[in-house]
Amino acid sequence: MGLMDVLLKYVRKNVSVKVALLLTPPLIFLAVWFYAPFLIVGLYSFDMINIYREITFTPSLVHYSRVLSWTGASGIFLRSLYFAGINVLLCLLLGYPVAYYISFKVKKYKDVYIILFIIPFWVSFLIRTYAMMGLLDERSFFNTILLSLAIIDSPIKIMYTDVAVILVMVYNYLVMMVLPLYANLEKLDKTLLEAASTLGAGPVRTFLKVTLPLSMPGIMAGFLLVFIPSVGEFVIPELVGGPSNYMVGNIIYEIFMGARHWWVGSALSMLFIAFILSLVIIYIRGVGERGLAI
Amino acid sequence: MVNRRDVFKVAAAGVLGLAIGGVGGYISRQGEMESLKKEVVELSKQLGVAAPKLEPNLNIYNWTYYINRNIVDWWAKENGVQIVYDTFESVDEVVAKLQTGTSGYDLAVVSDSPLQELANLGVLEPIDLKKIPNFKYVPDRFKNPRYDPGNKYSVIYSYGTTGLGWNNEEVSPEVTAWADVFEVDRHLGKYKGKITMHTDSVETYGAALIYLGRDPNSTKDEDLREAIELLKKQKPYLAGYASTEEYMAGLEAGRFLISHAYNGDIAGLMYASDEREITISKKLEHISYTVPKEGALAWADNFVIPKGAKNIEAAHAFINFILDPIVSAICTITVKYPFPAGRDYVPEEIRSDPVIFTPEELLGKLYWARPLTPEERAKRAEYWLELMAA
Amino acid sequence: MKVIRSFLKIFTVMVFLFLYSPIIAMVIFSFNESKSLAVFTNFSLKWYEKVIANPEVWRALYNSFWVGAVVTIISLILGLMMAMAVTRYSFTGKTILESFILIPIIIPEIAEALSLMMMYIFLNIPLGPVTVIIGHIAFDISFVTVVMRARMVGYDKSIEEAARTLGANELQTFFRITLPTLYPAILAAGLLAFTLSFDDLIKTLFTTGPGFKTLPLVIWSYAARGGVSPELNSLSSFALSISFLFAIFRLRAERRMGR
Repeated sequence: MGLMDVLLKYVRKNVSVKVALLLTPPLIFLAVWFYAPFLIVGLYSFDMINIYREITFTPSLVHYSRVLSWTGASGIFLRSLYFAGINVLLCLLLGYPVAYYISFKVKKYKDVYIILFIIPFWVSFLIRTYAMMGLLDERSFFNTILLSLAIIDSPIKIMYTDVAVILVMVYNYLVMMVLPLYANLEKLDKTLLEAASTLGAGPVRTFLKVTLPLSMPGIMAGFLLVFIPSVGEFVIPELVGGPSNYMVGNIIYEIFMGARHWWVGSALSMLFIAFILSLVIIYIRGVGERGLAI
Repeated sequence: MVNRRDVFKVAAAGVLGLAIGGVGGYISRQGEMESLKKEVVELSKQLGVAAPKLEPNLNIYNWTYYINRNIVDWWAKENGVQIVYDTFESVDEVVAKLQTGTSGYDLAVVSDSPLQELANLGVLEPIDLKKIPNFKYVPDRFKNPRYDPGNKYSVIYSYGTTGLGWNNEEVSPEVTAWADVFEVDRHLGKYKGKITMHTDSVETYGAALIYLGRDPNSTKDEDLREAIELLKKQKPYLAGYASTEEYMAGLEAGRFLISHAYNGDIAGLMYASDEREITISKKLEHISYTVPKEGALAWADNFVIPKGAKNIEAAHAFINFILDPIVSAICTITVKYPFPAGRDYVPEEIRSDPVIFTPEELLGKLYWARPLTPEERAKRAEYWLELMAA
Repeated sequence: MKVIRSFLKIFTVMVFLFLYSPIIAMVIFSFNESKSLAVFTNFSLKWYEKVIANPEVWRALYNSFWVGAVVTIISLILGLMMAMAVTRYSFTGKTILESFILIPIIIPEIAEALSLMMMYIFLNIPLGPVTVIIGHIAFDISFVTVVMRARMVGYDKSIEEAARTLGANELQTFFRITLPTLYPAILAAGLLAFTLSFDDLIKTLFTTGPGFKTLPLVIWSYAARGGVSPELNSLSSFALSISFLFAIFRLRAERRMGR
């Protein structure tokens, strides 16, 4: 009792002690189970752990130079960027009209529309991907219908192609684009638009000169939410793509599991993380801190 | 006392005779496995297959569709052992787990070259052959293998080749050589988009290098460069790089006409095999398997006990059980991969099927993969990933 | 104007079709009697019977639930501590701390999962349910912190001060005042943490041990190995109904809290 009181009094007086007490357990957890593992990856990448898992104090950049000098790697980095870029673009092209329509043209039941839009995303990511596999499969009813209507004369083969990977990415990430866009458009001051049209601007002009610039924050937020996770995608290329559609995540997996070369795999992993983090930093520099607070 | 081998002969004739004896529909019926199980129960009671009291948990890691699961269940029940039976679909998965030394498995099945790699890493427990009396039923040529002298860490499980499975109704002329899948003016061009190569890079490298007349285990830059250029040229004509489940489904549905495949998978497809059923007559006559005339990679799968195994006793007992000739025979006719110890008890149709039991005269044309160092694997992987990125 | 409007309408309908058709097709074909993925022959529950009779599915579902529950409780406690420290006090190094919290959300899960696996192996920690749970918490803490922080902004501290002037000690104040007021934030963060753990595939894949499978792992192993099949259609539809139950529960809870 007495000791407890003394302690409480001490804590009450010292804000820094309070903060330390609150922060220590979660930070220790993160440090041990999130950051320390990357320390191990770092040690491997600098050749400081040998095959028998002993630490050696002879750092070397040999694995980094190997990854950097390897032509195949740059191709796959570029492909990841390309897939993620196309994905963002398609999400924007599909998502913007939907967000715009619900926000500006729907008068009643906006909530219903939004909930209807979100429902498919309640389903877990893996099952959504699997559902798309059913549609893309050569044997699917989709192909059968097209065949029987004589729209095509042989089944479309989408599975295990770049198109399949991108389609499934769009399917999975569309929500990440539409929701911030919609939130942004909803907050838009609609009197501005009316002002533009009373001043004689046509609908297209109003859109290009007023709505679009004003919705840039929403677009940028959507961009971040779609682009970053899709660059690091692993499951989608693994399930609906083949080895020819691999992205960086799959290559890292392949080097670790297939070649079992943890050193090169670690170097690639470190470079990939550095790459993603620098993308985020560039984004924050460009858009400002607000961009992260969604 | 009755001679053990005689009992097996009688029992084998009884059980398997039923299966081959033309009782057609009987086999596919559910009751079949039940009666087979009862026979095995009877048999093992006489023979004391059941080991003394074992520790209650046994974690096994094996390829998919690679054993008769009913027999496993029966053994577990009989010995009061709770078996966790996990499966993998690629060499990579099992090696990745076992190389940790903390995989938690008590027994795993690993093929020859990764086995050497794991033994060198020191992540395998030694095998005590004294605890596996049935080892004597293993034919001599599967004992003391070159990849594990003295059977220090392993006991043979099954073996086979990696060649070409193909659809003999749609494909003509018949597939005979790697040249068929590497040269555009042969099958490769004719069946564009209907051919698959293996996803395992060791297999596909092997095929390309054998076709080029090089050592399939080569890690020389000029050999790898040439192999990759060949594969890059081949790639636009392929349906893809397929693993077991993919090419089996594809060949069955006719989506693929030629697939680079393991012999037993193709045999399993021909006989419509199932892990819980015994099928003895061929269901798909239009599927064939060929070991290309230039030669092919051969492999042998083996039981190993991973480091950190908690139930080494039961692992040995389980190996001993599978090496029982009758059990080996049952496994062979179930999955259509040969279990060497059971060869003599397998019905003639199966034993004489060259897809299942690789004929002796082919042995001279077969190559074995050698274990590679991490450096060598990384080098091969870099070229391989260049192919993937192409 | 009219043209634009109807164009937008048709476009939106098409996008909705794109979103719904794969899922609806999957559910419909899970009731198909034949194995065909193209023609619906007859209504049948046989694939569901197969799924329901499969003990692996039930074990996996059970595993997913209890792992999710443990992960949620621990991440809530740790995340709440972090969020309270960040929102209530100002201290040096706060910005660094905030990026420290955000990084687990940004880094690709495959890199994170492999690194954790390497550490388990490096330290000779045997893989199993515990290693899976640790892995889930390691990313859940950050999500919990972010969600809680967003909801705690504008939290009125005067009630707590009032309680303390009335003689309640820290612990009493925390359990009687702070926790109940933060209930909506805790609920939202908890449901998110649970969903993330329940649906997680990649981290579980790399950190699980013998025989320990969660529902996503079962679905993954079938999908990666065999592609589309009627059994998997019914298993996925079954899992889908669980996700829907969660979502409805979450929506109702948030509605109630929102008022």
